[in-house]
Amino acid sequence: MAYLATRNFLEDKDFVDKWLYTMRTGELDLSWMDAKTEKIKPHEANPRRGLTYRDLDLGSYGFTGVPEKVRGNRSYAPRGAELPEGLPDAQPWVSRKSEVWAFNTESYYEEAVSRQWNVTTDIPWERLDGVEMPETIGKALSQLMTFLTEVEMIATDTPALWLPRINPEFVEVKAFIASQAMDEARHTEAFRKRALTTGWGLMKASPMNEMALKHLRDADSFSEMSVALHLVAEGNVLTLFRFSEYLSPTDVDKRIFRLVMQDEARHVGYGMQHFKYVLENFPEKREVVHAHLDEAENISFAGAAATELTESFIILAGGGLKKENIEEGIKVTTRFNLKQMEEHFERLEKCGMPERKERSKLYQMFEMGKAAAEAAGIKLS
Amino acid sequence: MAVSFPSTEYFEALRDRMAAEQEKFRRLGFIDTTFGVRVGHNGKTRNFVLEFEVFELKGVREVDAIDPQKVDFTIEGDAGVWREMIENIHRNGEADSSHDINTLAHFGEQLKVVYDSPDGHDKLYRFMESIQRFFDLSSKLDVRFN
Ligand SMILES: [Fe+2]
Ligand SMILES: [Fe+2]
Repeated sequence: MAYLATRNFLEDKDFVDKWLYTMRTGELDLSWMDAKTEKIKPHEANPRRGLTYRDLDLGSYGFTGVPEKVRGNRSYAPRGAELPEGLPDAQPWVSRKSEVWAFNTESYYEEAVSRQWNVTTDIPWERLDGVEMPETIGKALSQLMTFLTEVEMIATDTPALWLPRINPEFVEVKAFIASQAMDEARHTEAFRKRALTTGWGLMKASPMNEMALKHLRDADSFSEMSVALHLVAEGNVLTLFRFSEYLSPTDVDKRIFRLVMQDEARHVGYGMQHFKYVLENFPEKREVVHAHLDEAENISFAGAAATELTESFIILAGGGLKKENIEEGIKVTTRFNLKQMEEHFERLEKCGMPERKERSKLYQMFEMGKAAAEAAGIKLS
Repeated sequence: MAVSFPSTEYFEALRDRMAAEQEKFRRLGFIDTTFGVRVGHNGKTRNFVLEFEVFELKGVREVDAIDPQKVDFTIEGDAGVWREMIENIHRNGEADSSHDINTLAHFGEQLKVVYDSPDGHDKLYRFMESIQRFFDLSSKLDVRFN
């Protein structure tokens, strides 16, 4: 039991007497009724949408007025409440706005809430009845699902790990991060259920993948975690989900990937808007993030090349294990790999880090891979 | 009554179906994106801008050219590809696994997604299921091809 109250209330005579006194006399304190807080009247900017967090961006309750360095509130007091003496220090790790804020944070959260879905009831599982897949395709699909289940488990843990570390003044960020943890829990569920409905059960865990995933969990700051998780990893995963949808052998798989990609694209969107916000408002972070990206790219390069992933993609893309299937599978998978890298640099550039290409070893790898693909007659889009 | 493709009437007919099936689209969630649809036909293009807000298609208009700065992304393709997609939807009640938008556009070989900002591009995927279901409403229309 880590935290002990500063008083033993159960044995504090004055405290117990006061409790009994109120019960006996009905005498109320009522000082809270004079809370020195602002009176406002929020209204729905768009009644079709409802009352949003943005509609509450008013005066002392709003997010616009939150200072870059939050010194006034380190407790769980909601933003805008009167802060009396005696509030405990909740010891948040992150009390600097540009460490966590993103342009439009509040609307990413609203979108997340309105676009939740349910793996149990929104996927037409009954359509899998009677679906027969060749053994290699079934196993490759299950291996892909096994791999993605590992990915989604770390994607649930990582944002959840940061939740209690974020100052409650950033309530919209906390809400978004909580919604992300829920999204990722749902993705874990979707991929586990699909793996187990292939008829082959789960396949093999991937040491390479898990090494890459561990890096996401163990970042020194929220921004570093965010650039590695939201931009590098989830950017890659978004491209991967689009590719998986394209390769999906059944319309059930297509539906799964379309629904997970929606959530994933939202996480990437938050990550991009956060990254832009950091670069604009906390310029000292640029070098720190570059250094973190050096490792994140190293690891994502390795993770994306994990045997358990690439071989299942090659089989799914080529349609089997014959020589011509494998040749075709390699072509298609290479195009996907290069697209993944290209989109990564596109996002960083748009966020305000165009110089990344010059510094990045991954970019050199992308150029080399592109040249090799062209030499092998692989058409790139 | 038959609507012709490509035309604003086609998209307006989809908009009306979308409104008639509000419950389904509410369940899918907010859709906030403005995107372009470009249809190539006999060396010419017809360009449309579709503006979605909250749960519905707020507006659609035909324009001479699509300004990439004013849309999140544009889906472009020859009339023949669009026609095949719409006819497939009509036959199956929804796009089959070879005719959904992500599959057709994935490597840019049939449909192509063009964009100015990756953030705008990602909105196609953020709202993918709503956009797919919107086009799937073509199954309820009688579409004529120009
Ligand atoms: Fe996920
Ligand atoms: Fe995610």
